[in-house]
Amino acid sequence: MTMRGNTNKIVVGVFHYMDDLLSNIESVKHGGYEYKVYSPMARHEIEDATYPEKSPIRRFTLVGGVFGCIAGWSLAILCSLDWPLRVSAKDIVSPPGFFVVGYEWTILFAALATFLGLLHFCRIPDIFRKVGYDPRFSDNKFGLVVSANSGDAEAIKKHLLENGAEEAEIKDAL
Amino acid sequence: MAKTSEITSELKVDYARVTELVLNMLKPPGAGWYALFVTCVAAFLWGAVAWTIQILDGLQVAGITHPIGWGVYITNFVFWVGIAHSGTLISAVLFLFRAKFRMPIYRLAEAMTVFAVLTAGLFPLIHVGRPWLAYWLMPYPNERALWPNFRSPLLWDVFAVSTYLTVSATFFIIGLIPDIAVCRDKAKTAVRKVLYTLTSLGWTGNNTQWKHYMSAYLFFAGLATPLVVSVHSVVSWDFAMGLVPGWHTTIFPPYFVAGAIFSGVAMVLTLIIPLRKVFKLEEIITPFHFEGMCKLILLTSGIVTYAYATEFYVAWFSNNQFERFQFWFRPFGDFKLAFWGMTFCNCIAPLSLWIPALRRNITYLFIMSIIINIGMWLERFNIIFTSLAREFIPSAWGGYNFSWIEVGITVGSFGWFGMYMCLFIKFFPSVSITEIKEILPPPVRSTKSHAAH
Repeated sequence: MTMRGNTNKIVVGVFHYMDDLLSNIESVKHGGYEYKVYSPMARHEIEDATYPEKSPIRRFTLVGGVFGCIAGWSLAILCSLDWPLRVSAKDIVSPPGFFVVGYEWTILFAALATFLGLLHFCRIPDIFRKVGYDPRFSDNKFGLVVSANSGDAEAIKKHLLENGAEEAEIKDAL
Repeated sequence: MAKTSEITSELKVDYARVTELVLNMLKPPGAGWYALFVTCVAAFLWGAVAWTIQILDGLQVAGITHPIGWGVYITNFVFWVGIAHSGTLISAVLFLFRAKFRMPIYRLAEAMTVFAVLTAGLFPLIHVGRPWLAYWLMPYPNERALWPNFRSPLLWDVFAVSTYLTVSATFFIIGLIPDIAVCRDKAKTAVRKVLYTLTSLGWTGNNTQWKHYMSAYLFFAGLATPLVVSVHSVVSWDFAMGLVPGWHTTIFPPYFVAGAIFSGVAMVLTLIIPLRKVFKLEEIITPFHFEGMCKLILLTSGIVTYAYATEFYVAWFSNNQFERFQFWFRPFGDFKLAFWGMTFCNCIAPLSLWIPALRRNITYLFIMSIIINIGMWLERFNIIFTSLAREFIPSAWGGYNFSWIEVGITVGSFGWFGMYMCLFIKFFPSVSITEIKEILPPPVRSTKSHAAH
């Protein structure tokens, strides 16, 4: 996204209606500003408007799953070969029996990697930085936070208020 | 009482009301909560004392002996793993199927899963008698190169149950994060503010976070679904891989999985009905959600009944005298009360849910859920006790003497489970705030633009 000069301000718009929010997202995108949208729940309309690409988190899941599968099978095979002891007339390396270990670890490591991916891409834990966040955004309001330079901030605030924002406020960007 | 035409998935609440209703549950507890919590702690302490005595005096104080070497403890283990099962079914499988009746109940079902696995995990430790040596089950490097037997179903259980606990706990925590952020923003006391600020990990619900969150949630649901199938299948192999008459059958995995879902959904009903009443959640947990759960109970009860019948048929068709004798012994032998109790609770009583009026009678549903829980405990009792009591040769036959130690530990397990549930209900949202908001239509200024979406 193109940036307009030094963005030392943010404009926080509070919306009640989803369609107002969506139309303002389009204007902000059209103006080339950097922005963030806050909502109390996941909505596909916001996702389509702001981040239509696929989340890269799936790569974490894939790598975790492949690693877990290899690790699970290797664990069972290498432990059995370390001290070869024939049990119940079964082969030292018994794939049907080892399948369960490989299967479980595939899921386990894929899940753990997905969790790590989630933390990484969502930038959490981070309990301190909440620039522009308003507690109402987790309850019943939508938020649109636009980064702008001092010159544009007033115009953006005016635009948001004229196009459905219940409130709009200019704050210093950190 | 609601008529069929009145039952819809639509909730008549807005976002703010959902937040208010759910956060009301976190208000300082009343006398009823304290009474329940103290009862649970007392039951848990009884179990703890019983276990301590068993550790000091040895397994002789329990009723486990030849030939029934797997007694009440393994029955409880399978029972609690079964209870744990439907939490992931409701949260993951029903998420993938986009079943709307899942939303208000899945959080409680997930909490139930995590606490029930924690309870189930205790029983193998209690059963082996020397819990301080439980680490022998793990494949850890040691100077004598002694590795566990990877061909043993008991070791598969270690991997399956530990994976299940880890994945369901992670799934549970992920679901909680956005809701804890709501609690953080509404917290009124400093202690709660700090607790929720730390546990919400700084979640703000911005568009990037929601994007990755929904993607991760979908993957988690996809990963947890094969776990739903695998965990109880592996538990069933603890039995089916043995040659004991009554256990050695290929029908066990699907039969166990269906039974686990059956008992788990019943346990969700047992928990959610009083919760709905006490916290006045009628606006978000409606007859529509109970209908969905009842239909799931009817389906799984049918599968379980079919599996019971198939077991008898296969025993007859096998022409194996030991199998045939085992399936004569179950309905007419020493433990016949358990068999007929199981048949009544799991096969006959749930049939009443075909009647719509009974499906919408909440008191009746609560009683039915207790009946099913008893029936499913009896099912595991039947599988374990009757099979071991009558193995191949008559000289190996025997009975069982229950001891107060086992009773104490069983009651204690319910106390342990109830204690965690009580704490969870008072400290974290037991109903998902964000997911209920997801199914509500968003407020829009123009009806045209909403229709476009």
